Amino acid sequence: MVKGDMYLAQASDEAILKRGESGGAVTALLKFALDSGVVDAVLGVKKRDGNNRYDAVLDLITDPEKVIDCTGSLHCVSLNIARNVKEYLDGAKQMRIAVPCKPCDARAIIEIAKRKQINRDNLLLVGLNCTGTLPPVVAKEMLISEYEVDPKEVVMEDIEGRELIISLADGTKIAKDLLELETKGYGRRDNCRRCNVNIPTMADIACGKWGVKEGEKKTFTEVCSDKGAEFMDNAIKTGVIKVEQPDKDAMAERKRKDREAIELSNKCEAEDLKELRELSLDDRLAYWLHQFDRCIKCFSCRDACPICYCKKCFLEPDRGYVKGGEVPPDRMFHLTRLVHDGDSCVNCGQCQDACPAEIPLTRLYLMLNIKLSPMFDYVSGMDIEQKPPLIAAKDEEASIDDINLFLAKGEVSEVVP
Amino acid sequence: MTELDYVPTICPYCGTGCGIYLVIKDGAIVGVEPWKEHPVNEGKNCPKGRNAYQFIYGEGRLEKPLIKENGSFKEATWDEALGLIADKLKGADPSSVGFLNSGRTTNEDLYVLQKFARCVMKTNNMDNSSRFCHSTTVPALLSTVGAGVMETSTISIEKADCIILAGVNIHETYPLIGRRVEGAKEKGAKVIVIDPRKTVTARIYADIFLRLNPATDIALLNGLMKIIIEEGLEDKEFIERKTSGFEELKSYISKLDMSELEQISGISRDLMKEAAQAYAKAERGCIIFNAGIAQHAQGVGNIQLLADLTLLTGNQGKPGTGVNPLRGHINGEGFGDMGTVPVFYPGFVPVSEAAANKFGDLWGVEGLPADPGIGYMDMVEKCSILYIMGTNPMMSAPDITRVKGLLENKDLVVVQDLFMTETAKLADIILPAQTWAEEAGTVTETDRRVQFMNKAVEAKGEAKPDWMPFCELAKLMGYEDKFTFGSAEEIFEEIRKVIPTYTGISYERLKKAGGIQWPCPTEDHPGTDTMFADGKFKTPDGLGHFQVVEHKPPAEPVDDEYPYALATGRVLFQYHTGVMSRRTERLNYEVPSAFVELNPEDAKKEEIADGEEVIVKSRRGEIRPAAKVTEAVPKGMLFIPWHFAECAANVLTGPSAGPPSKMPEYKYVAVTIEKGGK
Repeated sequence: MVKGDMYLAQASDEAILKRGESGGAVTALLKFALDSGVVDAVLGVKKRDGNNRYDAVLDLITDPEKVIDCTGSLHCVSLNIARNVKEYLDGAKQMRIAVPCKPCDARAIIEIAKRKQINRDNLLLVGLNCTGTLPPVVAKEMLISEYEVDPKEVVMEDIEGRELIISLADGTKIAKDLLELETKGYGRRDNCRRCNVNIPTMADIACGKWGVKEGEKKTFTEVCSDKGAEFMDNAIKTGVIKVEQPDKDAMAERKRKDREAIELSNKCEAEDLKELRELSLDDRLAYWLHQFDRCIKCFSCRDACPICYCKKCFLEPDRGYVKGGEVPPDRMFHLTRLVHDGDSCVNCGQCQDACPAEIPLTRLYLMLNIKLSPMFDYVSGMDIEQKPPLIAAKDEEASIDDINLFLAKGEVSEVVP
Repeated sequence: MTELDYVPTICPYCGTGCGIYLVIKDGAIVGVEPWKEHPVNEGKNCPKGRNAYQFIYGEGRLEKPLIKENGSFKEATWDEALGLIADKLKGADPSSVGFLNSGRTTNEDLYVLQKFARCVMKTNNMDNSSRFCHSTTVPALLSTVGAGVMETSTISIEKADCIILAGVNIHETYPLIGRRVEGAKEKGAKVIVIDPRKTVTARIYADIFLRLNPATDIALLNGLMKIIIEEGLEDKEFIERKTSGFEELKSYISKLDMSELEQISGISRDLMKEAAQAYAKAERGCIIFNAGIAQHAQGVGNIQLLADLTLLTGNQGKPGTGVNPLRGHINGEGFGDMGTVPVFYPGFVPVSEAAANKFGDLWGVEGLPADPGIGYMDMVEKCSILYIMGTNPMMSAPDITRVKGLLENKDLVVVQDLFMTETAKLADIILPAQTWAEEAGTVTETDRRVQFMNKAVEAKGEAKPDWMPFCELAKLMGYEDKFTFGSAEEIFEEIRKVIPTYTGISYERLKKAGGIQWPCPTEDHPGTDTMFADGKFKTPDGLGHFQVVEHKPPAEPVDDEYPYALATGRVLFQYHTGVMSRRTERLNYEVPSAFVELNPEDAKKEEIADGEEVIVKSRRGEIRPAAKVTEAVPKGMLFIPWHFAECAANVLTGPSAGPPSKMPEYKYVAVTIEKGGK
């Protein structure tokens, strides 16, 4: 088996097959990872109080029988997985963890791994296709006012093309136009509208249902790394999943859906950033400085940023750059953050989610990132070998005497500013 | 193997009631993560909420009971400490014992405290630290709309199309309610800010900024009403059907001289007109107020006029309307509901013979006190035995030099708290309490929102939940059978039975993010977003009652000797007496010490440079903060945050309103300011 191989997979275990949303392949693989000792734990996403689809917590599972409690995708939950691994699990430096993750989670993990805060080698990233998540409070309002259903009755959400489809316990499905919902202030999180990475090929394996025929309980699985290949190989040999090769139509269908989703995100991006792009640079700066005026310096954006990595933050008052106690803080607070992380932003949206001042940070970071990416030929969070341009120096750069470089040649230093 | 757990709970600071997730790693709290499903804050937090747990591991946590012997504290067992307290309480005259408490603790804690005071000690001598922030609010709103509570939910503020922020620096002191003001503004709402200080709230929210002279709210509010009536903008139908006393108000207002109102308040009639029109023409006008209005000798009158404004314009009974006090403590509504005040039994039942009999029957105890108890400062002065739970008068009460002298001369001072506070140092016996993350219980936030606080970790040392020592004392004093509570939930079950607005609420139902807003009379009742939605006020006749209020000068006007008007207040990065926030590293990085804001012209006159130490002096004492020269305060006014023990603003304060509120006038104290020198 090699990187690039594709399968249609389903769980062999009857119970998992029954409970899994798309044949339980992901659950079976995660359980196998624990059973076979490939990892010490699985970091699952578990509904709070058993059946609340709008709130979930991370669950560090060591008992293989408990993996099944995390089946199914929750579109109204967007946990900050990379930050939690970095902050509370010692960056997986002491244990091996299988992490089911959306593309932005996987990309954030790769970015912070470049900064040596997470040990990528100890992680098995089981990527899950994603075309967006919804903020839970607004989603519940939407279900009541637009879908006219009790949020508690919903058993599944799905984004299919341009529709947001919800399923109720009695089998009823209701579909609504996603963009129409979003013009009313409902729908996906702001950053998700503009996200164009739907299939997590930067993970070890990428799982999803694009390319699976309607009604079939199977998961389309792509092997994305050597580690992923070895793992899948063992899983198939052990018989925990049953696989078949997808035919050409299935592969084409998956590609088509991905393209369709990317087109939609491009459309949203053009719409969302149009007004800002039409502003002169002076007016654009004025717009952002005005946004920063509402900042209450809670540091939520910094704390939420999964790729923030400094041991001693430049923004703390004792560093002497941003004065303490001022509300709003000096504008350099946000501009410094932007320059510091702007090249590597993975558009996960966690900063904006956490911002009490409702500063549309993901728009700021995305606009900068769109400029920087071609300039440095760099796409954040895709390849762990590719170093972030703003903090890594090429040999010729590092040899320039009067540049205050904190970094060792060509490599991100552990001794960070 | 590492164990990781995520516990949903409520931030322990202000009365907003934001949800947070605590991250528990191997039994200790290691972080705060967003609780995105929580409807109040949707995963967003202010600097305090983001760092809410750090003080739990802060310096000086009390872990064992302490008994003072020859001037120094010795560790003791619970049995020793409680035995001593029980012996003292047993023979005590009910009028000589007082219970001070605060909205920092849970409903369950407060309910058991008042039950102990009433059933065992037979006294209504109990009062809450809110005496110093909203004691004017309750009488003012009872006399106008019949209930001293926030009318709308904080979430529904977004539905307002005109918002008056009266004496509330909402962006710093309630940032997550400020977010709702911003939400309304985004949808086109006009925001009017009333404040002598040009706060960050005034700078970023105000469409109309009424920067009045300190302590002249009554003149300004009468002026606004005069314009509304003169222009015929009042809601005649509403006034006719749902209010009484309009003719008296109209007659009084018509006699007021507009030029005089302009002169007193410092606000031109044109600006008043703009504000009056914006509010009177609004579909949903929302008045939000806090200490800037309430902490005045004329606070009751100030708030009555805010209520008058809502009645005059019919801005009542709909989400995003009404006259809305913001509560400073996480349980800022619940303490009143529980009746830990001298004038109300639980559920705001006024103290009377009938109330004493009713609760006597409910609790199976005879001889409950039928006369009102005395208030916070009266207890500090008159009671020889004080039981102080979770409140810190040595920082929060007016004229703390005097308070110190009083506390030092008591027969017994018991302090039950988390840390060795300034007050605890003066105690005879200290009992260690559990923090919000160590004990389970409910809290009721500013918009009547009852929420459950989860137990997240085991307590430090021998600390107990605040309710437990009262049960143990009751046992020692022969009332064991009335205090058989084994858990917070058992206490809550009794609360539900005793307080009708809580009857429909259960711990099971409170698992829902955002809890339930009272009134909630039955288990199938969804709770109440907005008060008076049925068109009836809580007054005896169901009508809104206009009140006529005349402008009066502050309790201690400035004069040649003390020419500056000082206001105390809060800053975003600290909280109240600093017990929690100053044990939080991240917050101390921002604002570590006291300062005094003064106007550049005054700074020039007094030859004071920005940043230098100055002496601020009142008739009660002096402190030495650092000068902060800023246009934020007008000429003649000073502002000092009151969080800092080593430079405590309440050394300077003192003059208070008369009954019923006895509110200290923290927003106007006559002082001098001069160079510190050395």
